[in-house]
Amino acid sequence: MAGKSGRTISATPKGGMKEKILSLEGALIIAFIAINILGRVLSPNYNLTNVMRESPRYLAEIFMLFGMGFILVLGDIDISVGAIVCLSATMGCLSSNAGLPMGLAILVTLLTGLCCGMINGFIATRFTELPTMIVTLGTQIIFRGIAEVSLGSGGSASLKDYEGIGILRVKLGPIPLAFFLIIICAVVFIILLSRTTFGRRLYAIGSSKTAAKYAGVEVEKLRFICFSLIGFLAGVCGLFILASTYGANTTTGQGFEMEVIAMCVFGGIATTGGKGNLVGAFISALIIVCLRIALGQINMNTQLILVIIGIMLIVSVLVPSFRQKYLALKK
Amino acid sequence: MAEDLILELRGITKIFPGVKALDNVKFQLRRGEIHALMGENGAGKSTFIKVITGVHQAEEGQMFLNGREVHFKGTQEAQQAGIAAVYQIPTSYMELTVTENIFIGHEIIKNGIIQWREMNRKAEELLARLHANFKVTEEVGALTIAQQQMVEIAKALSTDAKIIILDEPTAALTANESEELYRIVDELHEQGVSVIFISHRMEDMYRLAQRVTVFRDSRYIDTFDVDAITDKDLIKAMVGREITDMYPKPKVQIGQEIFRIENFSRLGYFKNVSLNVRAGEIVGLTGLVGAGRTETFQCVCGIEKPDSGRVYMNGREVTVKKPGDAMEAGIILLPEDRRRQGLIMSWSLCDNVTLPIIDKLSDSKKFINNKKEYELSKKYLEDVDTKAVSIFDKASTLSGGNQQKVVVAKALAQDHMKVVIMDEPTKGVDVGAKSEIYAIMGELAEQGFGIILISSEMPEILGMSDRIYVMCQGRVTGCLDRDEVTQEKILELAMEQSQSGREVS
Repeated sequence: MAGKSGRTISATPKGGMKEKILSLEGALIIAFIAINILGRVLSPNYNLTNVMRESPRYLAEIFMLFGMGFILVLGDIDISVGAIVCLSATMGCLSSNAGLPMGLAILVTLLTGLCCGMINGFIATRFTELPTMIVTLGTQIIFRGIAEVSLGSGGSASLKDYEGIGILRVKLGPIPLAFFLIIICAVVFIILLSRTTFGRRLYAIGSSKTAAKYAGVEVEKLRFICFSLIGFLAGVCGLFILASTYGANTTTGQGFEMEVIAMCVFGGIATTGGKGNLVGAFISALIIVCLRIALGQINMNTQLILVIIGIMLIVSVLVPSFRQKYLALKK
Repeated sequence: MAEDLILELRGITKIFPGVKALDNVKFQLRRGEIHALMGENGAGKSTFIKVITGVHQAEEGQMFLNGREVHFKGTQEAQQAGIAAVYQIPTSYMELTVTENIFIGHEIIKNGIIQWREMNRKAEELLARLHANFKVTEEVGALTIAQQQMVEIAKALSTDAKIIILDEPTAALTANESEELYRIVDELHEQGVSVIFISHRMEDMYRLAQRVTVFRDSRYIDTFDVDAITDKDLIKAMVGREITDMYPKPKVQIGQEIFRIENFSRLGYFKNVSLNVRAGEIVGLTGLVGAGRTETFQCVCGIEKPDSGRVYMNGREVTVKKPGDAMEAGIILLPEDRRRQGLIMSWSLCDNVTLPIIDKLSDSKKFINNKKEYELSKKYLEDVDTKAVSIFDKASTLSGGNQQKVVVAKALAQDHMKVVIMDEPTKGVDVGAKSEIYAIMGELAEQGFGIILISSEMPEILGMSDRIYVMCQGRVTGCLDRDEVTQEKILELAMEQSQSGREVS
């Protein structure tokens, strides 16, 4: 059934080296280098060894970045992950203190996260008329509520088995375990989203749920998987928080959800769904970690650091729209 | 001046970056006439309307209103001069009431206070003039599309418009609603208002207009008296070539039954729908809007869940629980709303074509193979003769007809396709692209596919189908063979039950 007009359609992808550098990822890499130079200038202690040593405190929440990237690409949002971190760390801590071996306590932590994620996923896919912002706002209150009840009147719990949790603090050469796992996760999830059919379908759902459904994409199944995944990753985050703070309290994980969403947006993932990729999000996460370490080393007030990150976030979101206006003017 | 012209445009040229949207176009509107403006998508009709209403400013040319030259710098000036436009998709504010919508931007204000009572009274007067049957205090969002259009027309009248422009007013309306619109336009005509309207439907033009002007490729082609023109001449003017056979239905040896549905029911939508299709056969499915045609096939294809119903392919029953199952069985649906259901508008053509088959194009079913993807989508997009520069063009940049071709390419790429269900495949498609889509349909039949054509357009149902099922209020009321079918018989079956007042229970 050849076309009658004999018209041909080009199938050569556009884009060259110049566009790669001008892309958001290119800009983020430049920003990453700039932040590191800035760190060197500001603090005499800013070097690779120290960054590696200090990084675990900041790394835990990056696990959730990958799940959040998926969720945002779907056009959904999950603001309950901070509470899931709190609940899973609490459960891990309490079960270990109750005499469970550390291996099992770790499993409890991860399963708590997974269960919370599955609950979110179930509600979000069963009642599709509810916006996920509202669903996860509700579960956020519930999860944190359960954690607070479990923690009892003191509002905090300390891990007794110091040594057991030590297996999460091991180093592979100079690289902390958390850092190592993050890199592995980054590679896996970046490939998953950008190169596989699974990722392609997530973009389809985020771009048009209806059209995706008509094209045979199992929309609700994939949404359920992603919500479960981010719950599990929040459990991983809770685990590493437990390992670095030796306990949990009612404020554990507070604000993590917003920080993770911020990193994604900073890296070019649109909250409206269907746009952006994890490469940008991951580089932005590293930028923010480096910035925090550098500013922490010169003893800058933590609140002030947050102000700076907030400003960076808004500027970073504005840059692409300015760029588009500039390109439009040039035309 | 020999003629009494209320509006005249001469030598209008409008240039957008890189494109000449209008090239030395002229147009004359007589006082009190209804004038149709026709042409294919992209012929420049919409741009032309926007020049008249002051949305765009032309680079060259003159516009005369009542014989005096005018230059509108914005829509407000055009409005003050008595020109109002009603667009295809009503642009009302859904949460506001009818009155608020009618008077938005020119509220009646006394001492800085909005005079609600007076505005409501005036709005009522305007609605009475249009014989509208809804209240001015209703929210516009609660009205039907046809009623929303009436609000838009009332809004135009409230500014005391002498010239009203209707941009594809019947595109979103049912047959009855269109009839109502014709009546309103006739009445406006009697009240001395001059009307310009754009439409793809010949019927609209014959029913309403005294004269018709045709644009093609940004140029003025000709103006005709409606009484003195034939379909053939008009199509030739619009398309630039003669379409000898609008409905190129090939002679096909019809084979065995390949697809059958039995007793499909869904409470409140349709009941006991059964039909079958043979290889190489084009089966039409028609009926009034809301008869349950689209809903039936949404259930057959797994988009919605039916209460009951069985699907058979080549005599063997298949279970369809989700859209993927239907596709797996070779039942491909080309949905009614291609912008929302058929395509992802922000995606490239390539990604759209390959979405349903992405697993098969991938290495070990998981890792996307771009090379295969590009080759395959290029092949199928060329097969259906899509007018596009590159497979990386966004779907949203194509015209309606070409978007429909991409949807067809997407279906063809599923190489195990056996039955294809086309739901209103030519809705909003211009006449040239329409004939191309019919040609593709014919070729598919020749290749032995079974085709179900769901359509409200009588000519295409009559022109393309081997057999025609008619639905009315959720039931199949008849099945007619090509030899015995007439428009009257179809209408009779389509209306049958509404007269006896039976409903789906």
